[in-house]
Amino acid sequence: MTTLRDVAIVGYTQLPVVARDEHRTAIEMLYPVVCEALGQVGVDRDGIDYQVSASTDYMDGRPFGFVQALDVMGSWPPRQDLHLEMDGSFAAYYAWLKIQTGEVDTAIVCGHGKTSEGSPEHVFNLQLDPFYQAPLGLGPITTAALQASAYLARTGIGDDDLAAIVARNRAAGASNPDNQVREQTSVEALQQSPWAARPLRRSYLPPVGESATCLVLAAEEKAGDLCDHPVWIQGVDHRSELQTLGARDLTRAAGAKLAAQNAYAMAGIAGPRDVRFAELLATTPVEELIVCDALGIDPARSDVVVNPSGGPLCAHPIMSTGLVRLGEVFRQLSGHAAERTVDGATRAIAHGAQGHCLQQNVVWVLGTDRRAA
Amino acid sequence: MTRAVAVVGVGQTEHAARRADVSIAGLVREAVQRALDDAGLELADIDAIVIGKAPDMLEGIAQPEQYLAGAVGAHLKPLLRVHTAGSVGASTAITGMTHVASGQYERVLAIAFEKQSEGNAMWALSPNMPFTAPLVAGAGGFFAPYCRAYITKTGAPPHIGPMIAVNARENAARNPYAHLRDPMTMDDVMASPMLWDPIRYLETCPSSDGAIAMVLAGEEQARKGPRRPAWIKGAASYAEAMWIPGRDQVSPAAGRRCAKHVYDQAGITNPWKEVQAVEMYVPFSWFEAMWLENLGFCEVGEGWKAIDRGAQRFGAHLPVNPSGGVMCTNPIGASGMLRLGEAALQVMGRAGAHQVDGVRNAVGHAYGGGAQYFAMWVVSTDR
Repeated sequence: MTTLRDVAIVGYTQLPVVARDEHRTAIEMLYPVVCEALGQVGVDRDGIDYQVSASTDYMDGRPFGFVQALDVMGSWPPRQDLHLEMDGSFAAYYAWLKIQTGEVDTAIVCGHGKTSEGSPEHVFNLQLDPFYQAPLGLGPITTAALQASAYLARTGIGDDDLAAIVARNRAAGASNPDNQVREQTSVEALQQSPWAARPLRRSYLPPVGESATCLVLAAEEKAGDLCDHPVWIQGVDHRSELQTLGARDLTRAAGAKLAAQNAYAMAGIAGPRDVRFAELLATTPVEELIVCDALGIDPARSDVVVNPSGGPLCAHPIMSTGLVRLGEVFRQLSGHAAERTVDGATRAIAHGAQGHCLQQNVVWVLGTDRRAA
Repeated sequence: MTRAVAVVGVGQTEHAARRADVSIAGLVREAVQRALDDAGLELADIDAIVIGKAPDMLEGIAQPEQYLAGAVGAHLKPLLRVHTAGSVGASTAITGMTHVASGQYERVLAIAFEKQSEGNAMWALSPNMPFTAPLVAGAGGFFAPYCRAYITKTGAPPHIGPMIAVNARENAARNPYAHLRDPMTMDDVMASPMLWDPIRYLETCPSSDGAIAMVLAGEEQARKGPRRPAWIKGAASYAEAMWIPGRDQVSPAAGRRCAKHVYDQAGITNPWKEVQAVEMYVPFSWFEAMWLENLGFCEVGEGWKAIDRGAQRFGAHLPVNPSGGVMCTNPIGASGMLRLGEAALQVMGRAGAHQVDGVRNAVGHAYGGGAQYFAMWVVSTDR
């Protein structure tokens, strides 16, 4: 492994997540976000070397949904560019990797998609193995319920525990103006909610919404030029697992665990005891427990604050949800988290995921200081 | 380029209108196994995997790399999915190269595929865009006006398109993997139905099932592998906005800029003289003349003349698409990587019956979107 270049997040913007933006296309939503992100770092588009966008055609309901994003990302004159059919947190990983080559110093990473124009439960059925799993009618809710059933059976926790996790996220998320759901609620009220698919109640599932996101990355000295409080990427790794639900232990996230170990090693930290908080892409309370376990976070000891933003249970703009995690860590560590600021935080974890039952995971360690050499 | 990267193994499937003998996973695995065998490696040797394909509507599976993770050996490995429209195969190979160039990975598997018989390509490629009259004419209907504009601008005579189509088929006859290999004459092409003026039926690419994989590696692996490696001397992917007033769709700025970027990296000042073989993305005949100009091989208005002279034929000055190219084999998502892989095979000296003599530098190229996405590389026999 060669020497790493230090890369920082230097800017981030998003639209407040809403169930449906009646008046704008996905691209019209992205445009102001790109402009504002460039404004934050004080450069025009010519000042950025590289761009990566993240979206998925099926959620857009059309082929080549990302092509139009070129226009609002300032792709004139032509830009060095890539589009990943993945959540934005993976697109950010590729931007980081591109910067590691030394060919570029700066990049914007954009996530977009208009979930209200389709049905995620039906669209993401089509991700599954077309012969053995998709025909069963499984979707993200039912596969998450299978995972939750297995987890409850293995650990013996129950409905009260799940409701408590949701209530904690909802309480934290009430002060985040970008959240789609900002009402606090009680364990009792959550448990009044009907089953979506046992053992998951409707109130335990994320409100699916839409947004647009733009993250700005910069290397080394450039980071200081563009931002007073850059948030440095100290470690990162991503790993995939098999999709086949029956071939995996759904109660554990082996990919997230390996990615976390590698990210911690790159950051030179022993584990989560060296971080103050974590933003996790967990779409159910059970996924939160599984990801915590994989990352070595013990929720019972509560020395790591989990999802101070409220997490995906308060806002889940598909294809951007992972990028929002990175953005939240940037806001926290650069002093822009307002009321939801976690006191004394200088280092945090951001986690992104996609696919059924946490198939693909990316883990980031970010801090106010550069990576320990 | 900060760190030397080479192609150390290439594997492609037999291409056909319908590969009914394999599932999508089986098709992809066929290419992966051949690439690994070619590189003398096993899946366990691979550090990361990049998969590219064109719109998921072509097969009806959303983000199919998730389903394919097992077939390509991605369990507990980094797996990224690229989609840059028609250029995706090429940008996927370049994404794999970036993994190695970054210093974070030693051996990376890049895979591109399309199994178009699973769906309906015309439907999948006819986006219904908001506030735009639905064309429902597929890619041919979209690009025919670009070809017509080229003819109008350059005064190219009408026989150039059919000449390109005939030459592509002649070349494909030497490529055992190609989908369409039957010879055809100028008369055959001229007599075929006009689909989208000026593009006739026999001037269009087929709809194919196929896959290609390649192993990209750092210098140490490249030196100890069983094959002569293809060193990547320059590579880039560029894109440009669609709705720019005055945008030149015939010779897009993104293509010119991408070409200049890779030639500068490779130290090439006169591509016509310094490149010995080109694999470029020609889905409809006329694009061969257009790209000869856009990629800097010919001056504006001179591309069709080079073709009229036969300078791009196999055995002539600069063979273009010696494999037969997209005109004879088009699994869309794989087509771009097939161009880059065929260019690599040319410098590795392993293109078989369609090997061009004396290749030192070869260019692989693909484009996509509304002629907005460009990805290309220069590979060389020399480090």
